[in-house]
Amino acid sequence: MESRVLKPILAIYVALFLLFLYGPFIVLGILSFQQGPEGGPQFPIVEWSTFWYQHILGLAPPSRVSPLPIGISLFRSMTLAFMTMVTSTVLGVMAAQAFRKNFRGKTTAFYLIVLGMIVPGVLVGLGSALVATTTGIERHWWSTAFATHVVYTLPFAFLVMLAIFNRFDSTVEEASWSLGVSPSRTFRKVTFPLIFPGVLSAMLFAFTLSYDEFSRTLFSSGREQTLPLAIYSTFSVEIHPNIFAFGVLTTLFSFALLTVYAVLMMLSVRRARRVAIQEAI
Amino acid sequence: MAMATSEIVTMQDGSSIVVLDEALLRLEGITKLFAGRSALSDVSFSVTGNEYISLLGPSGSGKTTLLRAIAGFETPDSGRIFFEGSDVTRKPAHRRGIGFVFQNFALFPHLSVFDNVAFGLRNRAEPFPEDVVLSRVKETIDLVGLKGLERRGVHQISGGQKQRVALARTLVTKPKLVLLDEPLGALDANLRQRMRTELRRIREALDIPFLHVTGSETEALSMGDRLIVLDAGRIGQYGKPDEVYASPATANVARFLNRYNVFAGTIENDGFTTKYGRFDYGTRTPASERAYAIRYDRLSVTPSGGAAPAKLAASYVASEYLGSAMVHFFETADGKVVEVEHHLSFGPPEAFEPGRSYDLSWNPQDGIAFG
Amino acid sequence: MTLVTSTSAEVDVGAPASNERGSLSAYVLLAPAVIWMTLFLVVPMAMIIYVSFWTQTTFKIEPRLTLDSWQTFFSSDAYLSSLWTTLRIWLIVLVTTFVVGYPTAIYVGLFVRNKTLQTSLLVLCVIPFWTSFLIRVLAWRPMLGKEGAINIILMKAGIITQPIEALLFTDLSVVIGMTQIYVVFMVGPIAFMLGRIDPNILEAARDLGADFWRILRKIIFPLSLPGVVVGAIFVSVMVLGEFATSAALSGRKVNLLGNIIVTQVGSLKWALASVVGVILTAIMALVIAGLLRVVDLKKEL
Repeated sequence: MESRVLKPILAIYVALFLLFLYGPFIVLGILSFQQGPEGGPQFPIVEWSTFWYQHILGLAPPSRVSPLPIGISLFRSMTLAFMTMVTSTVLGVMAAQAFRKNFRGKTTAFYLIVLGMIVPGVLVGLGSALVATTTGIERHWWSTAFATHVVYTLPFAFLVMLAIFNRFDSTVEEASWSLGVSPSRTFRKVTFPLIFPGVLSAMLFAFTLSYDEFSRTLFSSGREQTLPLAIYSTFSVEIHPNIFAFGVLTTLFSFALLTVYAVLMMLSVRRARRVAIQEAI
Repeated sequence: MAMATSEIVTMQDGSSIVVLDEALLRLEGITKLFAGRSALSDVSFSVTGNEYISLLGPSGSGKTTLLRAIAGFETPDSGRIFFEGSDVTRKPAHRRGIGFVFQNFALFPHLSVFDNVAFGLRNRAEPFPEDVVLSRVKETIDLVGLKGLERRGVHQISGGQKQRVALARTLVTKPKLVLLDEPLGALDANLRQRMRTELRRIREALDIPFLHVTGSETEALSMGDRLIVLDAGRIGQYGKPDEVYASPATANVARFLNRYNVFAGTIENDGFTTKYGRFDYGTRTPASERAYAIRYDRLSVTPSGGAAPAKLAASYVASEYLGSAMVHFFETADGKVVEVEHHLSFGPPEAFEPGRSYDLSWNPQDGIAFG
Repeated sequence: MTLVTSTSAEVDVGAPASNERGSLSAYVLLAPAVIWMTLFLVVPMAMIIYVSFWTQTTFKIEPRLTLDSWQTFFSSDAYLSSLWTTLRIWLIVLVTTFVVGYPTAIYVGLFVRNKTLQTSLLVLCVIPFWTSFLIRVLAWRPMLGKEGAINIILMKAGIITQPIEALLFTDLSVVIGMTQIYVVFMVGPIAFMLGRIDPNILEAARDLGADFWRILRKIIFPLSLPGVVVGAIFVSVMVLGEFATSAALSGRKVNLLGNIIVTQVGSLKWALASVVGVILTAIMALVIAGLLRVVDLKKEL
């Protein structure tokens, strides 16, 4: 291929592309250092300051800018994400394990589960709000929103586990059976330790998806808001650079989370493959 | 509780006696289909005493499927499997008490060598107390020659050592039957040779039957007390190696042994007619496929044009040195390869001219006619 | 002497061989997921269809079946125009994500041979998602506005003398915003399919004298088609269900079907919201079915 000419051109294109992707983040990063409290969320930068970071953390002197309604909504988002993560991973692992065999209705079940990631949040949210209203069930973040969050994240966990099991060599399980170990014990002692990296991925996926989930939650969380909803409610009111400072902080938090995940992954992959922990004999 | 199977034999005087069947493993009419194709068709045999049994067949003959069916990893579509007298056809693998050594070893990658071997004892339905586990594992590790490697991870040992771990892991649970699926397939030739002796030694020390699947006829012939030859999902022959070697039951069995030249043709009472001539035969074996077989080492090479009771013309291609024997390859006019084996204890090998035509002759009494 | 073989042996019927007749255990394992999806996805979707035929009074809704809400929708210019707007924006964003994303996918999937570098580039594309979706959408305003970053840069570089007004609060701003957010979903699947192309094929084609554009047309593009279809499905579903980006970037001027659902639910007009919901579902089903016809995904994947 005329890669000599094409490759550099494409490389430049990709660099521009990444710039395009990161544009908003760069902008909001810059603007988070806007002067406060009079500075607005637009250019030019009147004066560089860390006022808004202090404002987020509650350390700034009182001003007419009210603090972001985080705090309790952050707690709700994290709890909800955690609940969703655990539930959808457990259901996803079970379903993927079921899919290792052949049975009638397999294709239907597959499409049913994958449907959860295809249907947009607006529709699922509308539907669950309808059901809640007509049956008189109260909407809460820990009940109705939780249900729709799992509907959304379960397909992802399921597909991740399907891919993991696809590459799984089942002869180790057969070896375990031939030694007299029951299938359920085999799953606990052989299968699960070996698929654990995949399970971690599924968990991370589910947590991230639920944490930032907005459109479904809008309809199904009732009066107590999760974090994205709290942010959305500020849309209609005046926005300030504190929202950008918040964005930077949460991105850094996500980065930290992912580093923790990467470390856990490396550790568990290492454990599953190399030197076993020395036992005292 | 398992009860032995029994036969009710009616005597001439009308009375019946019960004869206890002593087969440890018995298969009746095992058939298994994969995607419409039959991998196993009506396979029946039994294993009685404690022997080393080789299961030989080319790839696709169904030998691994058969082994997996006995172990319980596959369920036959029809037929029954009896183990220690009871019907285990529907019994799940973990309750059969049959050991299995995998071709790819299937060691638990997240456990050490010691923990791999101890796994079965520690995790069965009624686990053994840890002190018993320790002593038995130690004993078995010594038996297979893995002493000193207990704490290693499974990726830190060689192929031959992995093989022994796989073996030890199964043997420590004291199964009544051990199935081995091409256990030496992943090892290099030198190691294979040594492991063959090892396996026989270990089996004799434990005195339990081994059923060893292999695609190598030399391995099957040298290792087995008895030999089962599997041909396209059916049993071709079941007998002692020397019997199978000297009197193959079908043309295919003769082919799998890699010791016979096999020719197609038609059989008549006074001879067998092939493309290359009509030959007398010494043994007639009834079989569905008609063929004429003559062993490699029963052929002599003589200059073209001589007279002989049975001969065919072929031109010399090349020779292969096997250490104690030479194999000469000849080709007939229509391209069929004929092999002649010359054992070097009979004298130095002759040199032949490539491309030149020779007569390959034999004593027709050595010929086997199938049909 | 007759030999009668009878087996008085015990037939042990335990659990079936663990890998085949284990259908029962498969159903048990699968049940929770299936039940959850049925209760919390299928039932709500069915409700939407059902409620679209209910009677809507000012603040209440009754299960008396009627076509009123349907008539309201189809007889209103505003609602119908939002239907066309939705379709228009969807198509435009689909095309732009494809056009913008394909070269990147070619670079990452074909030109970058080092697996680690490939993964790193893809991770780089995913990192922006770690910032909350809403905050990212908000950040577009100071970028696209009259005194926004883009205008400032362009003016400083001397490319324009007057700030471009059409960047914000128009169709264009919505398209730009959506493209930026969803283009990664195009790049991913396409790069994946391209990465699976055997480089020997391309080498052989070049040796036979084909130039790059020919290779692109005849080999690369057809082989990447399953990835394009998957990407198109992802992007279509997300764009059709959109409402936040258009709300934030167009100042209520661009009204998508998603926006209508949100506002109608806000006013408790459940029946009308459901009508829009049904229409949206129908559109999506048609789009997906159509895209799946382009390529037999099961075979390719």
